[in-house]
Amino acid sequence: MHKIEIDAEIDLLSENRRLAAENRKFLREHGIVAVNIMGAIGSGKTLLIEKTVEALKGIRIGVILGDVICRADYERVAAHEVKAEPVNTGKECHLDAHLINHRIQKFEDVDLLLIENVGNLICPVDFDLGEDFRVVMVSVTEGDDVVEKHPEIFRLADVIIINKVALAEFVEADVDKMERDAKNLNPEARIIRMDLKKDIGFDEWIEFLRGVLNVSGNSS
Amino acid sequence: MHEMSYAEAILENLINLAERNNAREIKKAHLVIGELLLINPEQLEFCFRAISRETIAENCTLEIEFVKPEIRCVKCGKEFEAPAGVCECGGFVSVNGGKEMILKSVIMEVD
Ligand SMILES: [Zn+2]
Repeated sequence: MHKIEIDAEIDLLSENRRLAAENRKFLREHGIVAVNIMGAIGSGKTLLIEKTVEALKGIRIGVILGDVICRADYERVAAHEVKAEPVNTGKECHLDAHLINHRIQKFEDVDLLLIENVGNLICPVDFDLGEDFRVVMVSVTEGDDVVEKHPEIFRLADVIIINKVALAEFVEADVDKMERDAKNLNPEARIIRMDLKKDIGFDEWIEFLRGVLNVSGNSS
Repeated sequence: MHEMSYAEAILENLINLAERNNAREIKKAHLVIGELLLINPEQLEFCFRAISRETIAENCTLEIEFVKPEIRCVKCGKEFEAPAGVCECGGFVSVNGGKEMILKSVIMEVD
């Protein structure tokens, strides 16, 4: 027996990148716009998806719902008569390109694929799913320092939603500061102030989706 | 905890490499990890220990080398320690690297 040293030079993230590229190719070929929605548990992701599905009736929508173990979010969304698939990650706090790769074939006839990532602001950051747009949703109830505490996810987002703004004064959160932090980290991102319970900012979100889907506002 | 995904990728690649080289045991793996991946080395080690049990990587030591991203203002070139967004000069602070995970080299026992 003897010892040998091997220069491996293996990029351990290349497998996820390869699968993400495969997903991206599939989405392109079928004309599907995919949106990866990230955010903490309780930030409002599932309600956003439910309302989006209702507001965009007439557009073929698919939803993939990531969850560590349960199916509650899936059941909520599926009740809106939309094509939905739950993905249980088991021990993981994020979706990866491989998990999406297994489900994506089922959605070849949709125009818009909404992917609800697992509720977490750290783990999903580095796993490209092959999506077209990355959305991060935070709520003012998470504290107005939530943006500065998680720079990476905000730095890499296309859309940043600050939700529950109507509650800001009650939880003493400074929404201007949150927006400033977000803009500082990511001057290119579209920032939407929202409150889904009070119908604030939701129209702007739908307008964004219609824009990326290239459809007019009258089809609903 | 995203460390488990990375531990699985490390183990899978180590075992493939060992098989290709007809190795009996994997002794040490040298990893280069970007700081922005926010990997906790203790957790990575813990996950790796758990999943490598009863494999030829069971006694493999993980040697982790962290590398910093290059964070600098695109306008004035000032360097920053963390992604800062906008520099005091008004320029955008760009981030390069810091997201890699490379299995650099492996030491193993062969017959
Ligand atoms: Zn500068």
